[in-house]
Amino acid sequence: MSLKRASITAALAVLTLYALLIVSLGWFLDGTILSDTLFSERTLFAVQLSLAAATVATSLAILLAVPAAYGLSRYDFRGKAAAETVLEFPIIVSPAALGAIILIFFNNPLGEWVQNHVMQFVFTFAGIVLAQFVTILGLSVRMLKAAFDEVPVELETVARTLGATPRHVFFTVTLPQAKNGMVAALILTWAKALGEFGATMMVAGTMAMRTETIPVAIFMRLSSADIEGTVAMILVLVFIGLAALYTARRVLERKSHA
Amino acid sequence: MLEIKDMATEAGDFSLDGINLSVDAGKCHAVLGPSGSGKSTLLNAVLGVLPITAGCVWLDGEDISRWPIERRNLGYVPQHLGLFPHLSVRDNLLYSVRARKIPRIDWQTLFEKMVEVTGIGHLLERRIATLSGGERQRVALVRALMGNSRLVLLDEPFTALNESLRQELWWLVKELQRERELTVLLITHDLTEAYFLADNITVLIDGQQEQSSDTVSVYHSPATIAVADFLGIKNLFSATIVSLTANHIEVDCPVLGHRIRLSGNAPVGARIRIGILPDNVALRDALHPPRLGEILLTGRVRLIPMKSHVDIRFENSDCTLVVHISASERLVKRFMLVDNQVGVTIGLPKTALFWIPDE
Repeated sequence: MSLKRASITAALAVLTLYALLIVSLGWFLDGTILSDTLFSERTLFAVQLSLAAATVATSLAILLAVPAAYGLSRYDFRGKAAAETVLEFPIIVSPAALGAIILIFFNNPLGEWVQNHVMQFVFTFAGIVLAQFVTILGLSVRMLKAAFDEVPVELETVARTLGATPRHVFFTVTLPQAKNGMVAALILTWAKALGEFGATMMVAGTMAMRTETIPVAIFMRLSSADIEGTVAMILVLVFIGLAALYTARRVLERKSHA
Repeated sequence: MLEIKDMATEAGDFSLDGINLSVDAGKCHAVLGPSGSGKSTLLNAVLGVLPITAGCVWLDGEDISRWPIERRNLGYVPQHLGLFPHLSVRDNLLYSVRARKIPRIDWQTLFEKMVEVTGIGHLLERRIATLSGGERQRVALVRALMGNSRLVLLDEPFTALNESLRQELWWLVKELQRERELTVLLITHDLTEAYFLADNITVLIDGQQEQSSDTVSVYHSPATIAVADFLGIKNLFSATIVSLTANHIEVDCPVLGHRIRLSGNAPVGARIRIGILPDNVALRDALHPPRLGEILLTGRVRLIPMKSHVDIRFENSDCTLVVHISASERLVKRFMLVDNQVGVTIGLPKTALFWIPDE
């Protein structure tokens, strides 16, 4: 088998595997139950909670990640190598472990003080946001850094010779140039936050109509042997996730053609 | 105008040290050198991208060594031009006046004049991606001038262009220089470009400032063997100084078979290299007898026609010389008659000779 044929076969095998898994959901798909589940108050709550938490977590992550990624992309400083290594932390440590670390933090004196005097995180909406934020922050910094890395430093230098301050250069040259990469990063990190389960469950628990995000709802319905309901929630998550990935892909394609 | 005094800077493991050069107002100064010689490092230090670790850079009587880039008011055209692809040509050109918040009344006339001189009026609403190579160069040049910069830094901006377009843009730079009385610091590895545009040249090789002088002097009296090598002068022969008089040395050069008197000063016994410029040689025969003071060599010549000149390789038992003669010169026809023959006599005038201390 030629290399070309072998590699194309492998790519199609990957597609087939995932397609098979998704199509297999159809075995348990019941139109009435699907409709009842999708439009139930509990499902709508889970969707709203997931969308809200993922949006807030992504916004907060982007606020911190944009300057951090720009700093890592453009400047050399003491501790840079360590900072870049830490970005891998959420990738190599499982989300459940990350959630456990957050939970343990809130049980030490500093964490307890934060809980008592700043904000309650454990078993709350804020906890969901925090769990998602910690999980996606490293990823968003990495993706935004890649977007900034693609903007030639030469453009910024030229802009400064033309009289622009570093801040003006950032907003008039760097951001517009990195825009598509940043939008793609935003969409992908948002999708990652939306599907986050391990850390969310550890910090916010699994309370119906309180901390029940879509992934938590999937877990809860499966735990109670509600297979049809589980399938319905999975389809909701898959639909939102695929729509986000498709949008990100289109944005990246536009970037490569720009 | 621009004065660099004992400047040192570092870029990673590479360092430049003891750089001294000055550019008078309205003049063009070329920094010439091969790849990796430190030309761009020097330029980045002047721009303010790299910190100056010693010495200083003066511009119009002010020490700008510690000034931020945007305060230096330098026009800059980098090798890849640095045009902003997300902006139209017009927005690229007006970037500096907008960044500096200069009122329209102060730039409108300059803008219209620059657009007219460079012939880019029809491109103003176009995106950068739709421009040809030559159009981009023009836009980059005008953009660099729109800030009323006192000094324009050109970092090999014409490298990627074909020969005719390059020459067209060289003329444009000359025209803009005359029109705006521009002071230009040109970074290039191209001898022809440097000779065309510059009044003075600094040669950098391996981070060392080998020579700084007017363009004619650099060519006729390269200061070091490295400079001669870079200029493509291959005719270098070892010699020893045997006597010294006021402002003149007498040298013994076995290869050239003569005791030769040259202007300059160096201690007796010092080893030097005598160089022969590659474009200054005469063919001697009965109809064209030697002139007074000429060095005569007899050997075999071979002609190799090149694009715009003819390479003539002269060989005898002592030496090999390579000389270039413009293809349009009558001398070429005379050399063709003796191509590949032995016993041909060539004459080297004293003006074709220079000497360099042997390193």
